[in-house]
Amino acid sequence: MARAGASRPGSDGAERGTGGRLARWIERHPLGALLIAVLLVAFLWLVLADWPDELERLLGRKRVFVSALFNGITLGGLYFLVATGFTLIFGLMRNVNLAHGSLYLFGGYLGYSTVQATGLWLPAFLVAFLLVAVVGLLLQVLVFRHMEGQELRQTLVTIGLSIVFADLMLWAWGGDFYQIPTPEWLAGPVDMPIVLDVRANGEPVHLRYPRVRLVIFAASVVIGLLLWLVINRTRIGTLVRAGVDDREMLAVSGVRVQLLFALVFAFGAGLAGMAGVVGGTFQSVSPGEDTRFLLASLVVVIVGGLGSIPGAALGALLIGLAEQFGSVYLPTYAIVFSFLIMVLVLAFRPQGLLGLR
Amino acid sequence: MAVAIAERLQATGTVNALELRGVTKQFGALVALADVTLSVRPGERRAILGSNGAGKTTLLNCITGDFPPSSGTIRFFGEDVTGFPAHERIRRGLRRTYQISLLFGGLSVLDNVHLACLGVSRGRFSLLRPRRDDALLESARALVHAVHLDAVAEKKVAELAHGQQRQLEVALALAGAPRFLLFDEPAAGLSPAERADLVAILQGLPAHMGYVIIEHDMDVALRVVESVTLMHDGRIFKEGTPAEIEADPEVQELYLGHGRGG
Amino acid sequence: MASLPASATAGRAAADAAEAARGPHPAAWLLAAVLLVLPAIASDFFLVQVFGWALILGTIALSLQFLAGYGGMVSLVQMTVAGVAGYMVAILGSSGLAQISLGWPFWLAVPVAILLAVLFGTLSGALAVRTEGIYTIMITLAIAAAFFYFTRQNETVFGGFLGFNGVRAPVFWGVDWRSPVPFYYLCLGWAVIAWGLVVWVVRAPFGLALQGIRDNARRMAALGFDVTAHRIAAYAFAAFLAAPAGILLTWLNGQIAPGTVGIGPVIDVLVIAVVGGLGRPIGPFIGALLYVLLRIFALDALVALGLSGQRFQLLIGLGFLVTVLFSPDGILGLWERWRRRWTGARGEGR
Repeated sequence: MARAGASRPGSDGAERGTGGRLARWIERHPLGALLIAVLLVAFLWLVLADWPDELERLLGRKRVFVSALFNGITLGGLYFLVATGFTLIFGLMRNVNLAHGSLYLFGGYLGYSTVQATGLWLPAFLVAFLLVAVVGLLLQVLVFRHMEGQELRQTLVTIGLSIVFADLMLWAWGGDFYQIPTPEWLAGPVDMPIVLDVRANGEPVHLRYPRVRLVIFAASVVIGLLLWLVINRTRIGTLVRAGVDDREMLAVSGVRVQLLFALVFAFGAGLAGMAGVVGGTFQSVSPGEDTRFLLASLVVVIVGGLGSIPGAALGALLIGLAEQFGSVYLPTYAIVFSFLIMVLVLAFRPQGLLGLR
Repeated sequence: MAVAIAERLQATGTVNALELRGVTKQFGALVALADVTLSVRPGERRAILGSNGAGKTTLLNCITGDFPPSSGTIRFFGEDVTGFPAHERIRRGLRRTYQISLLFGGLSVLDNVHLACLGVSRGRFSLLRPRRDDALLESARALVHAVHLDAVAEKKVAELAHGQQRQLEVALALAGAPRFLLFDEPAAGLSPAERADLVAILQGLPAHMGYVIIEHDMDVALRVVESVTLMHDGRIFKEGTPAEIEADPEVQELYLGHGRGG
Repeated sequence: MASLPASATAGRAAADAAEAARGPHPAAWLLAAVLLVLPAIASDFFLVQVFGWALILGTIALSLQFLAGYGGMVSLVQMTVAGVAGYMVAILGSSGLAQISLGWPFWLAVPVAILLAVLFGTLSGALAVRTEGIYTIMITLAIAAAFFYFTRQNETVFGGFLGFNGVRAPVFWGVDWRSPVPFYYLCLGWAVIAWGLVVWVVRAPFGLALQGIRDNARRMAALGFDVTAHRIAAYAFAAFLAAPAGILLTWLNGQIAPGTVGIGPVIDVLVIAVVGGLGRPIGPFIGALLYVLLRIFALDALVALGLSGQRFQLLIGLGFLVTVLFSPDGILGLWERWRRRWTGARGEGR
């Protein structure tokens, strides 16, 4: 977490950037910080060191552990992509968009159809982003714009939309499970520098992990960083942050608020659409995925804090890891694991881990 | 009830009704209150004056428990209430009114006052409907009468005139035998006749009921209090009797033109 | 703040009080009479599959209306609470899964099931009320989803994907409560009791305080009310309304499975309450009847329109959208406006 605290230019000049807050949190909770540091070091050791036999007997094979770890991290990347759009839309426009999952699935179907039609994978992202962004734009301009301030009504509308969209997509693409095939140039495993085991002749056995998952994770990180840069270093990012902070102020400052809202909604929707292509490659595109990813977004942002992009990143990582480790070590209760985290956060820090309230 | 309180007050002797020590409140880097220390005796009537941004309303919000102070202690009749949530302080006899009336628009005047009486009674959670001669309902009606709102008792609050709503604000604060009151700009938006009415109500309150009144309108404020605290930039600037404050040259300089009507 | 139902219902609450003082509407008497003698006119199918089901769904939706309309809290966990009660009665009582069900007699299984469901509802409320209003939907939705996934995964207690079958109403006092007419009266009975409880409680101090909290929670705290405790108590009361309906639902279908508490049914209850009207307790029942009729006869209607019978969800979604966009206070709201236009000089105020 070596980011310099990004100070927000506000009237109080307070340093509210993530770095500054982290420093203050460590100051105020020295024991908690120490505990987390110790856990992190222990975790790193588990990942990097060669496991002694006793440990393997206790925890199972290291390969399983490390696979779950990487799966969890890459799944977290996917969750981050979906949840970011959701949290941006809520943060700026106070709109709990429960049709977000539908936007995700729509992107997935569009990606699938694009790949079917052209045989190319990368254009699928572009198509998904653009078309779903257009849907988002239309929704904001034609529907939500006329319901400013009526938060509950907006949410109910998004629920209605999600029902309609789900059925329309079912009608158009049918009820089958589709998978977007991984392109040739991304297929196959990559040798990772993580040692799983040492063979009898002293040769280390390395982890081999699917290239496509690593690439997509890297892309999520890049997108996350780009987003962070835009939010914290550009003028439009400043407007978004100001709007998240105080919408009324933004309105009276003469900025074309509606244009900003439309752009942000379109962007958030486009991001969800792109995530749909990712999910379609990792897993599948099918009815019911919209609900699943909507719920994942909900849990991620409840845990991370609504309106916070670093929160979405942290929450996505936690939930991704929880789900993967859960499905490996406690298969019957894997899903409950993530909800348990959500319940704990709600009970002890209702505004979310990095939430601002 | 009033007699019991008066007796209790005498028994406790010199305990202050309200005692603030070193109260500071920061919002990020904005210091709204800086090291505020003041005490108010039981039954004392105090005005807290100051220009906009002096920290008056923040002080009030800290005292009622809307948010905790960043540091410092608040004692209410000797009890440390610094960490108490709002409703706990209310149940100990503290009440306040709001600068902008916070009323229940969809309910009738009587319902509003009834709620206020319920808030500090045991019947809060009652699932039984009150009978016609229920004691709480009676005291609610008496309160409506005390603030001259009998004529509109059954009307929905959203349909009342502004002045009537302000009167209802005061009624809500008087419910359930409070020990101490906080008035946040009660004269805001009132006509001269209504202001006179307000002064009459305040002056007519029982002797044991102390209050702190925040006001811009010095005319109203100085007539209904015996001591004044002046705030500036989150700090206490001056304290004294109304006469002393009015005559003070420093005060004149600071508030030239802020005398009437804010 | 819930700007959708609050402004509509705040006015209605006062108008309600005025109307209540005048005595029940003549239409209410007519409705009561019809419902009472329905078994004499309707077929078994209509009695149970249409009206029985509508009454059950209406009661569950009523618990949502109570929380949303009078408390300002849109809770998506009500169907789940009903489901918990249904599952408990299957687990504690007798069912087709003899290896799990404990076989308790109904007079033990039913009250315990209701108690457990109320506990579940209260705990959910405790989690949902500590944050700003709009989060309530999100949190309750997440809880509902968690329960759905859990019942689907868990084989040992909840019977996994297939759930429980063979769960039927008992025979006692010489009456077979499974047969259509007695079962109908069972559903009607609880619906009437639930409706009556809501109408009563809303004017009692507790209900009044809840509405005060809906209108202005901050002021209520400043009047001495423990806002959080009140809200949680409201959830408990709502759970008490929904739980028996959940048991009746299980007895109606003779089974309970994860699909009963899935996201679809959970949202359907919201749709029913909103379309019916969140302003008054009769609203959800109107919505429920509409839903059930649609559910049963939509197939024919859709085919007549040239669409596949599978497009039922589309109809539901569109109907919901149209309601929220053009008549946010539901069918009740439409009725009120139409009535006011025709009686003109009533002047009851909005």
